[in-house]
Amino acid sequence: MITFRDGFYADIRTEDRSRTIISYKAGILEEMRTRVEQQAFLRVYDGRLWYYASVTDLKHLQETLNGLYAAATANPAIQEDPMVKRFEANRDTVRSFETCSVRDIPLNKKQDLLLSYLPLLSGDPCITMPQAVYLDRNSRFSFRSSLGADISYDYQTCGIAVSCDMAEGEKKFSGHWQKGGTRFDDLTNLEEEIRGAIAEQTSFLRQSVPVEPGKYPVVLSPEAAGVFAHESFGHKSESDFMLSDESMKNEWELGKTVASPILSIVDSGEIPGCGFVPYDDEGTRARKNYLIKNGILAGRLHSTQTAAALDEGLTGNARAIDCTFEPIVRMTTTYIEGGDLDFDRLIAPIKKGYFIKTIKHGSGMSTFTIAPSLAYEIIDGKLGRPVQISVLTGSVFETLGLIDGLTKDVVMLSFVTGGCGKMEQMGLPVGFGGPYVRVSSMNVQ
Amino acid sequence: MKKEFLKQTEHSVTLNVTAGKIDSFRELEKTTGTVRVYDNGCIGVAGCLGEPDEEELTAKAVEALAFGIPYPCRLDGHLVLEDLHEEEIIKVPDFIPMMTAFLDRLCEMCPKFAFSNKINLSYNRSEYRNSEGRHLVSSGRLFSIELIAQNRGSGNLFDTFLVWQGNHFDEETVLSNFKKHYDAFYTPVELEPGRYPVIADVSGLFGSFFPHFIGDMYVSGASLLSGKLGQKIFSDKLSLRDDMNPSSAYIVSFFDAEGYTVPDYRPTLIENGVLKGLFTTKKTATQYGLPDLGTASAAYDGVPGIGFHRFWLDPTAKSLKELVPGKAVYVVVASGGDATPDGHFATPVQMAFLMEDGQPVGRLPALTVSGDFGDMFGADYIGAVHNDPQENDILGAVYMDVEKD
Repeated sequence: MITFRDGFYADIRTEDRSRTIISYKAGILEEMRTRVEQQAFLRVYDGRLWYYASVTDLKHLQETLNGLYAAATANPAIQEDPMVKRFEANRDTVRSFETCSVRDIPLNKKQDLLLSYLPLLSGDPCITMPQAVYLDRNSRFSFRSSLGADISYDYQTCGIAVSCDMAEGEKKFSGHWQKGGTRFDDLTNLEEEIRGAIAEQTSFLRQSVPVEPGKYPVVLSPEAAGVFAHESFGHKSESDFMLSDESMKNEWELGKTVASPILSIVDSGEIPGCGFVPYDDEGTRARKNYLIKNGILAGRLHSTQTAAALDEGLTGNARAIDCTFEPIVRMTTTYIEGGDLDFDRLIAPIKKGYFIKTIKHGSGMSTFTIAPSLAYEIIDGKLGRPVQISVLTGSVFETLGLIDGLTKDVVMLSFVTGGCGKMEQMGLPVGFGGPYVRVSSMNVQ
Repeated sequence: MKKEFLKQTEHSVTLNVTAGKIDSFRELEKTTGTVRVYDNGCIGVAGCLGEPDEEELTAKAVEALAFGIPYPCRLDGHLVLEDLHEEEIIKVPDFIPMMTAFLDRLCEMCPKFAFSNKINLSYNRSEYRNSEGRHLVSSGRLFSIELIAQNRGSGNLFDTFLVWQGNHFDEETVLSNFKKHYDAFYTPVELEPGRYPVIADVSGLFGSFFPHFIGDMYVSGASLLSGKLGQKIFSDKLSLRDDMNPSSAYIVSFFDAEGYTVPDYRPTLIENGVLKGLFTTKKTATQYGLPDLGTASAAYDGVPGIGFHRFWLDPTAKSLKELVPGKAVYVVVASGGDATPDGHFATPVQMAFLMEDGQPVGRLPALTVSGDFGDMFGADYIGAVHNDPQENDILGAVYMDVEKD
């Protein structure tokens, strides 16, 4: 039983995390382990400074908390602090994975699943170094605060990722494919999907041609569009970047037109997948937040600190990668809403352009970049040859204004490798997605 | 049965800065322990978070042998070495007052910038022991300032950075260096598209190509370097190493996760243009007949894997002015670059200075720089300089195509 003291705000977040990794390289077992860790992150706020501690010894949380209290200064008016007044004090238990926890699946069953896919990676002689990995994570979180919050919830992801170094003569390519889910059963019966991905990538190795650099119409797949939304606008919606410069609130005034009128971008912790966060790491309940609605700046993402500073509502976006770090403003699942076209009608008007099917990575500041993996020409409204593109770049706001077509259907994606990096906290699981998106002009290198 | 024992401890104190003021204090202590055992061509690993119980970990590692993970038992022999750097850089009770005073001066000196992010003190200690009599201990310390600078009114997430890393804090030098940066930032300059010397840190120049140096990719034939080990394929001036030397890599241990060391603690990838090494573990080196590099890393409960620490270019000039007299592009922020499978590299440059005779003279507009792998490491490689413009900097220079965005 934790005793909180008057004169301070305090909270304690704990995580019991189980992670399994099994990997094979060239058919040989490289790694097989399950790691179970318990950690806690404690915060005390006295109205002036936050004091944090990260510990692995969960038996002595009271002593650690007392140490933080000793460093801080009691503040009789702490309950009137604008930040403290904003904290939610939810009491809830959300157990989504109790009956399907990956903790309950024997290691050898996970290994057998991965082994069953390995033969698919060695069917073509150009594949010279096939690698495959099984990953899963199940976490049990608890959150308690001096305001009475008492929340327990769980989180789960699992997935299979494949990579294949390919070489044939002077031609070289590194192919990738992965499937993420939240239940072990999501990862079964993937033979056809893997076989198709490998065949497409070996064909890319053999047939792809260098791109002619220039400005072209570009069609982004849901994967590329989701990463574009995350990188180009999602990070700009993280409102901690507005705290240091008071002029930012004018620059980023809600209601301003920032994009094409057909574009709406959403962030929500309620979407099943790796960005599912029913409560954030400050105990705030998840909700659907429009960042852009019909081209208009509609909202931004908040921690309690940023919501108080900007006098806006909480959004459920205070997240930390684990109990080593304090929560900061992060995305959950970010996606573009669908439009009214199908894929054929989307590419039909394009005389010469490119379709970006899969990507290696993306980043975004005033300019954004996307590094494509698989890309194709679009000639006279039809898909053509595979092409090698190093990067797509452009001004974020110019490009948001150049979106002129969206397909109806939205695809949500969850990946189990990589993740979002922000300063010292790298690899946060986030979801993303969208429809197929047409941009009338992008710089293709 | 042969055995390795590893223990790592970390202690850090981190201040968060918002609007030029400290708003949080975080203290972290972390200890991990690892035991690896080898038997019948296999490895068993066990690890723990917290103070390790060697006996218990050994029993778990022996159990893990049953997984049948193949790994050669090639433990290095007797060597006892210790390199310790444990003196406090700044006493913890003094940290907030000192950094508050520094931030006040910085904000007064640079009123058009809004500063945020972290200032950090880190200490670590790594120990490696094995059943062959090897016992290595290393400890390091690092003071780092990693501040984001937003140009007030720009609307950008960040416009530039103040970065300092060292084993001491020299406030006057940090401020005087950044003043030049600040003044140049507010002097817009133009540059005609063309071919220029581009100055950047090693990762910015060559980072996209590092996977090609991994042993697995090399032997697969998919690397741009495949089949070229031992050959002179790059510029004479280019020597690229992994810096694990405590004299310059302050918080990196001088041995790798398998207890391997090289005499100068800087394992070599390229020496005078000759491809000398590839990223390997003892397993991949044995499997593929490649030389041991000595840069392996490992999770505390994991099998050793590929690692690197801090890239090092041998200096070819004493100053930026000597390296690139005349005009050059100095890349401060470049994010999102990549290369095609055949080695064409392009990256947007979000922030760069125009340099003349080694000094920043103004801020360039957003650019894209590009080049080809063979040329960037070969005929277009100009050289490298250390400790300019800041202590502990390692910058390289390469001729590249520069275009305006």
